[in-house]
Amino acid sequence: MAHNTRLNVLPQRDGGIGRATFGSALPAPGGDLEPARSLYIHVPFCFHKCHYCDFYSIVDTQDRQVAYTDRLIGELRALAPYSRGEPLRTIFVGGGTPSLLRVELWERLLRSLDDSFTIVRDDDPCAVGDRPPTEFTVECNPETVTFDLMATLRRGGVNRVSMGAQSFDRGHLHTLERRHDPENVPRAIELARGAGIRRRSVDLIFGIPGQSIEDWERDLDRALALDIEHLSGYSLTYEPGTAMTARLSRGEFARMDEEVEVQMHRAVWSRARSAGMERYEVSNFARIGRGGVSVGAECSHNLAYWRQESWLAAGPSASGHLRTADGTAGHRWKNIPRLDDYLRPADAVGTSPLAEYEPPDPHRAVRERIMTGLRLREGIDPGWLRQACERVRPGSAERVRRSAETMSVRGLLEMEDRRWRLSDEGILFADGLAVEFFEAMD
Amino acid sequence: MPELPPKPSSAPRIRNFSIIAHIDHGKSTLADRLLQATNAVSAREAKEQILDSMDIERERGITIKASAVTVYHRHKPGAGADDLETDFESPAEDASPASHQVRKGDSPESHGDLYMLNFIDTPGHVDFNYEVSRALKACEGAILVVDATQGVQAQTLVNAYLAVNENLTIIPVINKIDLPSARTLEVAEEVEQTLGFAAEDCLLVSAKTGVGIPELLAAICERFPGPREPVTDKLRALIFDAVYDDYRGVIVYVRVFDGRLRVGDKIRMIGTERTFQVTEIGKMTPKPYRLPNGEIGPGETAYVVAAIRSLRDVRIGDTVTLENAPAAEALPGYQPPRQMVFCDFYPATTEDGDGADFEQLRDAVEKLSLNDSSFTFQPVHSEALGFGFRCGFLGLLHMDIVQERLEREGGVQIVQTAPTVSYHVLVRGTDTVTGANGQALKSVDHSSPFYRDVPAGSQLLEVHNPADLPNMGHVIEIREPICKVEIMLPKEYIGDVMKLCLDRRGLYKNQNYVSTSREIITFEVPLAEIIYDFFDKMKGMTSGYGTMDYEVIEYRADNLVKMDTLINGEPVEALALIVHRDKAEFRGRNLLVRLKEQIPRHQFEIPLQSALGGKVIARETIKAYRKDVLAKCYGGDVSRKRKLLEKQKEGKKRMKNVGSVTIPQEAFMAVLDQGD
Ligand SMILES: Nc1nc2c(ncn2[C@@H]2O[C@H](COP(=O)(O)OP(=O)(O)OP(=O)(O)O)[C@@H](O)[C@H]2O)c(=O)[nH]1
Ligand code: SF4
Ligand SMILES: [Mg+2]
Repeated sequence: MAHNTRLNVLPQRDGGIGRATFGSALPAPGGDLEPARSLYIHVPFCFHKCHYCDFYSIVDTQDRQVAYTDRLIGELRALAPYSRGEPLRTIFVGGGTPSLLRVELWERLLRSLDDSFTIVRDDDPCAVGDRPPTEFTVECNPETVTFDLMATLRRGGVNRVSMGAQSFDRGHLHTLERRHDPENVPRAIELARGAGIRRRSVDLIFGIPGQSIEDWERDLDRALALDIEHLSGYSLTYEPGTAMTARLSRGEFARMDEEVEVQMHRAVWSRARSAGMERYEVSNFARIGRGGVSVGAECSHNLAYWRQESWLAAGPSASGHLRTADGTAGHRWKNIPRLDDYLRPADAVGTSPLAEYEPPDPHRAVRERIMTGLRLREGIDPGWLRQACERVRPGSAERVRRSAETMSVRGLLEMEDRRWRLSDEGILFADGLAVEFFEAMD
Repeated sequence: MPELPPKPSSAPRIRNFSIIAHIDHGKSTLADRLLQATNAVSAREAKEQILDSMDIERERGITIKASAVTVYHRHKPGAGADDLETDFESPAEDASPASHQVRKGDSPESHGDLYMLNFIDTPGHVDFNYEVSRALKACEGAILVVDATQGVQAQTLVNAYLAVNENLTIIPVINKIDLPSARTLEVAEEVEQTLGFAAEDCLLVSAKTGVGIPELLAAICERFPGPREPVTDKLRALIFDAVYDDYRGVIVYVRVFDGRLRVGDKIRMIGTERTFQVTEIGKMTPKPYRLPNGEIGPGETAYVVAAIRSLRDVRIGDTVTLENAPAAEALPGYQPPRQMVFCDFYPATTEDGDGADFEQLRDAVEKLSLNDSSFTFQPVHSEALGFGFRCGFLGLLHMDIVQERLEREGGVQIVQTAPTVSYHVLVRGTDTVTGANGQALKSVDHSSPFYRDVPAGSQLLEVHNPADLPNMGHVIEIREPICKVEIMLPKEYIGDVMKLCLDRRGLYKNQNYVSTSREIITFEVPLAEIIYDFFDKMKGMTSGYGTMDYEVIEYRADNLVKMDTLINGEPVEALALIVHRDKAEFRGRNLLVRLKEQIPRHQFEIPLQSALGGKVIARETIKAYRKDVLAKCYGGDVSRKRKLLEKQKEGKKRMKNVGSVTIPQEAFMAVLDQGD
């Protein structure tokens, strides 16, 4: 098996306080790994730490941007063999705040991506069939968007931006400690469009303490009035260790009433639909064509996550997945999270040290597919479910089927286009239902 | 195998004693010092509380089982302080009889006459009090240890009285005098005030630093009497303990009072009338040491191996005699330990109903009962929880320990129901009455001190499971165990603690002075009230300074009723309770509030009700949850989220289904918390 032949077995470093111990390494490229067709890059800089955020990011210190870019370029070069020359289908640069990276560093990064990987441009004459244009997304903070930056990104092949608006209400933005002027959102979307970035998306958050259902509907209306093809609407999650969670437990505010939160879910479903968008995942909506057919506005990169495809990961705290050639399981890993560790030693080459690593495990892979599949509109193929369960745990397929039947009697799961998918009611219980499937598999 | 010092031609003098005290006052640490001072263990071998050999004892830092050991020591008659063997002998462990002669100084004989000290370290916790009673019957003396910072406490008194009742000589020892907070003199006065020993007779010791140990050893030899003279030449040896060993079967600890016992003898237990062949006789030094001559005589204690298969084949307290020259009369024995607290154990997982988990639990229970004969068990079946065992324990700590050992040593996961006491139910008619399981309910043993006032045409049944209560139409009365509770506490807390006792249906008995700052109060309180967090409440309201002892003194009738708990309309017997009518509503409401906190929300609303004979007296509702989905699941979230859901799945394994409601194990303990 591939993970027995380690490419670069990393030295065991001392596990001092707050430091991860790492000893695992990525499997060697080739062998029984399928070529990776997606790439995630993590840019760990922010202006300021938002109170709900549990991403790894540090408040920008300009002095480390150069060192980071140098190290990242080296890492990308080491990851390149995993794509085996195949063109990338998707690239996603997230953060942190990628738009905070200085323009000249962006230019270097984009050049190096072109050197190391095959990226298919929108205007590539051969961009058809198995060689679709690479979906290349960059997350932006509306505050930091300039025409110069957008044009640079565009020239480097970026064709999609995801704009973190969160809310258009200054009061609610303040509660989240998210510092931007909401009026910058339409401006930023306009700049991106003007620079030729074809695909645009906006992120919103609901369930903010103090937010009313009307406030939320106003946010939705403002976002959907923009020239965008995609919307993400997240209910606020109190992640452990974030300032929001600490404030909640201090009693600074109360958790949103569940009933109101459910209404907010319903509001985004119906408003998005009226605006010509359809929910394709718990929190994601994409423009659809006539008769409800996809026009490819879904985020293919995220779909790669949810379909357990292979993707590479670069930058501190980034997570990757490499599927074995037979497609039954994959290696999962997470890079070392702290920027300092990532940059050290100064002359580091090759892939990043890992903080976490899980070898391929077919049983785990089935659970992951169920878990993410339930969240997707496309749902789960019952034929696959039967075979996969039987393969990893003989005798379990029948129990899993019975469990699905029960959920369907409860009105939570439905069979559509020969696939199991959660109903509108069921989608609100996706986690609990995944646990029920896990139980049935055991 | 360690060696004992060579036996001198003249037999050593013998001293048999126990170390007794309130919990944590330093008995086991003092035992360490005695072992070390007499060279029974070398400094290298010495570890803290060496006699606490069970894992669970070491982890919890308490003694659960008494341990008997034998050491040798030299003492000059009249000396106030002795030389320690450490100073003139090599450690016992690395000495052959010859090398043992290698002295550090002058000849061993110049340090005095040889004494054989047989001593027993006992547990301090109330639940294991019967271990103390047993130990004392094998001794002529007792070292009563009192912590110099804590003073006389509830178990100090109880254990001292036990020793006095056995006519033992007591040496009061004030321990931990090295601590800066030691109130040595005050505590000596307390000893005088409460127990009547002259304050100046107390020895001052630090079991930590070893201060006072030479004086203590001298006092042991001087003050404790030797064993009483034999009254017959027929063998009479008291079985004061027994443990089970995987390889050798049951190992019996005996104290010989009369006659001699040798390897090869055919012995007979006077009580059980069973006979066995002795294959080995030895002493714990503290390692087992097989006596080369295989013989012991009057006054000695030893362990005996005799191919005894199961602990059930011996009765602790029985007398051993010889098959072919039997003694006429047994030595006075013991009351068997009485199980006071009962609860059910069920396997936490019941997969596919194939019963494999129950079989595993059965194995674990049977195996543990080989090591601990003081808990009882009998199979039960419950609608909600499946097959399990109803077990009886000496107290709450004992229950806790048994559960932990079953889980750890038996590898089973357990769901435990709330503990109850054993009720005596007086019913009309003498026909067999069956309980919830269809098994006949046991009658109270006629020889029990609590069997009384049973009119003709009625019977007294033992019920320790509320589900087993016979039809109330036939019940004349329900009697419950009443305890005499003694609480020793600083004066300023007396008001609060009295109120607690009265709230728990307590009857005030009296109040006594211990010292200028502390008193001891006595109440009679139903045991059922004590097992509901009484101890924790009392500790809490006395800032940890109060200590208590309790003992069941009688059974008394009261207005007791069965209270049912319904979840989603279904009665759950594992949550049924026997309560005092006046407290039913209050208890019901509290129970439901606790349940509401414990039972996770479901996708539907769950009504919770308390009912007396079909009449609902309290009600709560668990609201349905409206959503259970996390907003985000991107690349890095997949593993984390999957692990989270897997954990929830594992958690659900430890839950039980009642109809369509999933109930976590903790909910079955909700009944415990009074919430007042
Ligand atoms: N400072 C000091 N601590 C002591 C002394 N004797 C015992 N201790 C400490 O007191 C605690 C209890 O000691 P143990 O010897 O386990 O007490 P015990 O009486 O055997 O306790 P149980 O068997 O649970 O009743 C331990 O932490 C000991 O280290 C002493 O003389 N001085
Ligand atoms: S939410 Fe985004 S911008 Fe805010 S701290 Fe987190 S990564 Fe940075
Ligand atoms: Mg002890």
